[in-house]
Amino acid sequence: MPDKPGSRSSGFDRRAFMAGAAGSALIPIAARAASEDARAPAAQDPSLPVEVTLNVNGKDKRLSIDARTTVLDALREHLKLTGSKKGCDHGQCGACSVLIDDRRVLSCLTLALAAEGQEITTIEGLATDDHLHPMQQAFIDNDAFQCGYCTPGQIMSAIACVKEGHAGSEADIREYMSGNICRCAAYPNIVAAVKQAAPEIMKG
Amino acid sequence: MTAAAPGPKTNMGQPVPRYDAAAKVTGRATYASDMPLDNPAYAFLVTSAIAKGRIDRFDLDDARRVRGVIEIVTHENAPKLKESKLFSNGGYAGTTIQPLKSAEIAHDGQIIAVVVAESYEAAREAANRVKVSYSAAAPSATFDSPGTTTAAAKGQSSQFKEDPKVGDFAKAFDAAEVKLVASYETPTQHHNPMELFTTSCAWMGDNLVIYEGSQYVYGLKNGVAEQLGIDADKVRVVNPYVGGGFGSRGSMTPRTAIIAAIAKHVNRPIKLVPTRDQGFTITTHRAETRHEIKLGASRDGKLVALRHEGAEVSSRSDAYCVGGTKTTTRLYACPNVDSLVSIVRADRNTPGFMRSPPEVPYLFALESALDELAVKLNMDPVELRRINDATRDPIDGKPYTSRSLMACFDEAAKAFGWSQRSPQSKSMSDGDWLIGYGCAATCYPTLMAPSAARVRLHRDGRTRVEIAGHEIGTGAYTVIAQTAAERLGVPLEKVAVFMGDSDLPPAPVAGGSNSTASTCSAVMMVCDQIRQRLLKAVMPSDSLADKAKETVGISPAPSTQAGKGDRPLEIEKAFDALGVGVVEEYGEWKPDGAPMDSFRAMHNGQVRLVGGHQMKDQIAYAFGAEFVEVRINRFTHEIRCPRLVGAFAAGRIMNPRTARSQLMGGLIWGMSSALLEATEIDERNARYVNDNLADYLVPVNADVPGVEVIMLSEQDDHINPVGAKGLGELGNVGTNAAICNAIYHATGQRIRKLPVRLENIEL
Repeated sequence: MPDKPGSRSSGFDRRAFMAGAAGSALIPIAARAASEDARAPAAQDPSLPVEVTLNVNGKDKRLSIDARTTVLDALREHLKLTGSKKGCDHGQCGACSVLIDDRRVLSCLTLALAAEGQEITTIEGLATDDHLHPMQQAFIDNDAFQCGYCTPGQIMSAIACVKEGHAGSEADIREYMSGNICRCAAYPNIVAAVKQAAPEIMKG
Repeated sequence: MTAAAPGPKTNMGQPVPRYDAAAKVTGRATYASDMPLDNPAYAFLVTSAIAKGRIDRFDLDDARRVRGVIEIVTHENAPKLKESKLFSNGGYAGTTIQPLKSAEIAHDGQIIAVVVAESYEAAREAANRVKVSYSAAAPSATFDSPGTTTAAAKGQSSQFKEDPKVGDFAKAFDAAEVKLVASYETPTQHHNPMELFTTSCAWMGDNLVIYEGSQYVYGLKNGVAEQLGIDADKVRVVNPYVGGGFGSRGSMTPRTAIIAAIAKHVNRPIKLVPTRDQGFTITTHRAETRHEIKLGASRDGKLVALRHEGAEVSSRSDAYCVGGTKTTTRLYACPNVDSLVSIVRADRNTPGFMRSPPEVPYLFALESALDELAVKLNMDPVELRRINDATRDPIDGKPYTSRSLMACFDEAAKAFGWSQRSPQSKSMSDGDWLIGYGCAATCYPTLMAPSAARVRLHRDGRTRVEIAGHEIGTGAYTVIAQTAAERLGVPLEKVAVFMGDSDLPPAPVAGGSNSTASTCSAVMMVCDQIRQRLLKAVMPSDSLADKAKETVGISPAPSTQAGKGDRPLEIEKAFDALGVGVVEEYGEWKPDGAPMDSFRAMHNGQVRLVGGHQMKDQIAYAFGAEFVEVRINRFTHEIRCPRLVGAFAAGRIMNPRTARSQLMGGLIWGMSSALLEATEIDERNARYVNDNLADYLVPVNADVPGVEVIMLSEQDDHINPVGAKGLGELGNVGTNAAICNAIYHATGQRIRKLPVRLENIEL
């Protein structure tokens, strides 16, 4: 997937940032310092609150958080958007999947500071005016969940799976949906749901 | 109809979409850790790095220096908690090993400190800075470890009352024409529901609210109250949605009461989100088991002698066991049966219920052994089961209330194409792939427990059902709503169901697959009370009122047919006659044979399950047959499972959509158990090694083959008012053996130890 410059408001270029900060343990601090040099210099103590603006579901949200806060914890604990779930906090289960600049991203492995200036879409941002997103409807139609805990992550991942062009066959869907664990094992129904929704999503 | 929503056959409800579907696809479904708290503090657990010994000293200086730390609680300053008995001994707890009680360490990963801080990040950092000095002793890890003790389960575990026996096994086995002796082994497994084992506790004065994913809100409420030494009415447990249970949330774990006590102490709501690896030791697991099966048969395949000996690992403190011989000794007709279950005590945390606790390990052994016997007899394994099919429980002589085992075999065999199987092993292949077909029986006892419910009907048909049941993914909201709609004759969309809250009327644990039968029977009874009140208002004659109960059955078609043959109840007319706007009824239902103290126990959060082989004059089980195809690469030994076909009969199917999903998930669980899942134990340290979702293998979408679920029509009027047998734990029982039997067919290699991985295949 092509990287998209993420410099809408914060004034730093994500690609340059990634290149410059490679190998540094202070990625988020560097990002903030580079983008908002008018404010205090990089904090020495990571627990000192830092200011960050996250664009979530089309709205800018200003937060004062611990620099180590992940996108997932920023959503859940600070923005009260609890649709994205914590299933492992290690990038192993996919329950926390969100879209960042239309790419599926594990929000538990992404620091909130690193997502500044990018568009975050969560499960709460899909339905509009009481109309479900086609993928949401397809999950209902095909009973593609049981306990529902992995479902927000499955749906976000499924939308990206379709847009990436990986929903052409059942085998493809199975492969490209394998980053999202469903312990209830609704897998065949998830495949059916992705298949159902794909044409409508591609139609746009 | 999509594949997900099969059309109903006789004695099946409508495959309506899930009641909670929209909430679950939009992120609006609120699980325990999603609940908003006012200014919470965050807790992080510190767990033991040794399995046996004691804590000499904590060094907390470094941890205390972390900005935002509020409190660090260890055994030296912990609030005192009262003890709770084991769930299966009439208590609430999944383990009697309580945290922060003393310096003693009973198992690896035991909770030894709780750090409370202003943020999750600070709590985590401080927890990592807690330094602990231990005096470690050499732990006993599992079977064959030095220092374990072994004793018969009978006499030390109140849940295991006797080893089933009948006839003279020794004599019959000795004289049998064909004999088989074989040993089997199953590993430790962890439930790993997707939702972590979170707990939030908030006090309002003397009242405590607990948000925790639970399969038993009344048990948790009463258990925490007992440990805190407060009135149970002061405790409320709330969890409208539970992110998977599989048994892990059925009994109270050590984390809840201590978090509640600390929340009181720091005077703040506390939110605990344990890590995935901590979940491996702060809750329960399926214990590893060993089995020896002895079968004696006549040349024509008739079983004459059966013996099943099982051994299970438990903790030093608790004699937990599942004792699946209660099922394996009753599954087939055999006049001479013997059994023995033993418990091996090791330095481990106490195991507990995990989806089909007794049946998964014990039927793996029996159903594998039957396949081995079929090979010895040169007989089709389906025919061997037909020859030994039982109509009565061979131990007690009681008849099965209904038993569709062979009908399931025949349906599944047909759908699978069993007739295409060439009987010899190593006889089927496709290029580089060896192909094997295998099958096994599956079964699960039909259990029920007392349950209450409250139903409120408005004049316009709006209905509110309240019951402290649990939505763990089973479809409980949906089938309860369907039951109320059908019974009252109101449209389904007018029914609202409230569950997962211990302030609602009590329902039993969502375990033992009893929920649908128990909660729907209670809801049905209370709806009948409402109908009787309304009928009395318009037809003030007792006989007519009594008729409500007789004539309104749950019909196979939707609500409009309820009351067929009778004049439909005109709700508005009845309300006008009564002169009220709302009719509300509360009722308590108990199954036949429930003990005298059932309702009192129900309110106290103690389950009185009845059914299965413990019914007075009958025995009730659901049955099924599972067929699998395996493909094994002759060079890499990779094992794939492209097809799983299961046919099941479980009395009334309340909703073919949710039932199919549960059975499908069960088949995949079975495949996972056979080929993927095992918690690896470092035997030197009695420690779980692969305690995360990357190393504890569970299936992902690419692992999952074509799955076909067939549900047979079955009517059973002897079990409970709704006529339903639990099926949530039916799908994953037979699969282990079916897969190993298919691997034998493909390779000629009999594998008796789970899970089967490519390194276990020798070609």
